[in-house]
Amino acid sequence: MALLEIKNLQLEFGSGPGAARAVDGLSLRLEAGKTLCLVGESGSGKSVTALSIAKLVACPPARYVGGEILLEGRDVLKMSARELRAIRGGVVSYVFQEPGASLNPVFRIGAQIKESLKLHRPDAATDAEVIRLLKLVGIPAPESRLRNYPHEMSGGMQQRVMIAMALASQPKLLVADEPTTALDVTIQAQIIELLGDLRRQLGMAVLLITHNLGIVGDLADDVAVMYAGQIVEHGPAREVLNRPLHPYTQALIQSVPELSTEVQRLTAIPGTVPLPGAFPSGCRFHPRCPKAQPACATQAPELLAAEVGRNVRCPYSKSEIRNPKSEFAS
Amino acid sequence: MNLLEIQNLKVHFPVQQRLFGGAKEFVRAVDDVSFSIAPGETVGLVGESGCGKSTLGRAVIKLVEPTAGRIVFEGEDIAGLSGAELRARRHRFQMIFQDPIGSLDPRFIVADIIGEALDIHGLAADAAARSQRIDTLLKAVGLDPSHAQRYPHEFSGGQRQRIGIARALAVEPKLIVCDEPVSALDVSVQAQIVNLLQDLQRERGIAYLFVAHDLAVVKHISHRILVMYLGRIVEAGEARSLCRAPKHPYTQALLSAVPVVNPDAKRQRIVLTGDVPSPIHPPGGCPFHPRCPVAVARCKTEVPPLRELEPGRQAACHLAG
Repeated sequence: MALLEIKNLQLEFGSGPGAARAVDGLSLRLEAGKTLCLVGESGSGKSVTALSIAKLVACPPARYVGGEILLEGRDVLKMSARELRAIRGGVVSYVFQEPGASLNPVFRIGAQIKESLKLHRPDAATDAEVIRLLKLVGIPAPESRLRNYPHEMSGGMQQRVMIAMALASQPKLLVADEPTTALDVTIQAQIIELLGDLRRQLGMAVLLITHNLGIVGDLADDVAVMYAGQIVEHGPAREVLNRPLHPYTQALIQSVPELSTEVQRLTAIPGTVPLPGAFPSGCRFHPRCPKAQPACATQAPELLAAEVGRNVRCPYSKSEIRNPKSEFAS
Repeated sequence: MNLLEIQNLKVHFPVQQRLFGGAKEFVRAVDDVSFSIAPGETVGLVGESGCGKSTLGRAVIKLVEPTAGRIVFEGEDIAGLSGAELRARRHRFQMIFQDPIGSLDPRFIVADIIGEALDIHGLAADAAARSQRIDTLLKAVGLDPSHAQRYPHEFSGGQRQRIGIARALAVEPKLIVCDEPVSALDVSVQAQIVNLLQDLQRERGIAYLFVAHDLAVVKHISHRILVMYLGRIVEAGEARSLCRAPKHPYTQALLSAVPVVNPDAKRQRIVLTGDVPSPIHPPGGCPFHPRCPVAVARCKTEVPPLRELEPGRQAACHLAG
């Protein structure tokens, strides 16, 4: 049994004809101990999908139209408030983008981590355990840091505290929603290394949400690329990055400049990212797609197996292009 | 002649003093920085948050008052100018901001956002000339002239950034300071804006000071790159050679931390320990020594000057060479 299995999730904001379907028929599997990366731009539905795993999206305005989210075999969407409290932290923990906004500014960080311990492991709610957790996430001199307020720490340190807090309850799944987006590259590198180490040490599964393809290769076993509320490509991270099959994944990889390569001009994706409620008909990427056919405007493609272990939502993906960047580097 | 010559520029901000507080303290946001920009050249300015890169970008065009130093723009020192004298020269240097929402007035239609710049500098003879000029500018940045009657909230992030660029272009500047112009945009839209900036440079010969934290983007767009750490330039050089063979340990670490899409790329990541130190009390000696993986005893006591290692390449490190 997979640790997490999302089947045909459909989530809408608002109601009636004006409802915006932010997530449309999303299915995912994550095995225990594995890392899955969910890649997408703003409005693609990646964050609401992540929040749905512990049913953290406020309903209303959101409404689950269909599908199920099986966490250890039980459907999160059908759970009572008491059951939800038990899985939040107990099975799945979260790390968010803005550590400064997620920490309570008026409590010392030691007390905030202890609060998480009191809820999930009351016997371990001691200073010694808090210090062990702070050490685990690589905070130097944790004994003296216990009594710090969040504002006395840098962004990178605050994010480490958030991770310590998420780990306090010993979750089986850590959901990290853009954990490094607000941080500098040197600090981002530290946090990515830390997440990789922790995953190996503790054997937990990680669902990493990001818009940065560069950090996918560092951490992920598998990657799912989202566009306009749907998964457009899903497969092993290495293969997807080296040989993307969907035109969107290809365009996304080509539009990002890289240090190791020289290009005169970036290959830009024309147009703008569609917003929920205004997704185009047919294939949702067709207005921006360089390979669009007349049929793409009307026929919505299905997510189908293109090769072993690889799913693609594009009937024309056979005309593949090798990622030009991998040839430069190798 | 260089378009812009910055000589020994310093920007120090006073820190709030304690009631009976000891000596007056300063944040040395920019500390003795010198560089130049040629006409039509793009100079990239990179560094971590808090290194002073945005302050330097603003000080160069006098949006922040410099504490000391000279800002020679087309042969004239503008560091001491203010009021009407400065306003008369502002059409030659403009700025594009990071946040395209925050930098556009939500109550103005696009025509007035761009037109205001024309009005201030008296660049449109009458209403017809003004609206024709606005149409031309909108076309130049890839927007439709019919967009002139809309408000900023009706546009996407990338389109708003195009409006910001059109506003900067309106007065036909020689230099545009771009402060993180693509970091607030979606990945798929960033390339559009980078390409637009390059096209405009080719057509109009504008010079850019491109301030950003994304090294890959900076390398792509810049002719030369300046690397800043704690208010000082620690390395400067031609963009490609600097990225290929960085001399300063900080540049090396910064480059190695940049995420790479290709999962097979072999690389040695230098993970720096610790954070950027406080610019109020920077470490003695080389400001980078507490985080430097190769620091020696001398680095703790002696400040390394920015010295020329080879033609066109400078670094502030005792060990580089």
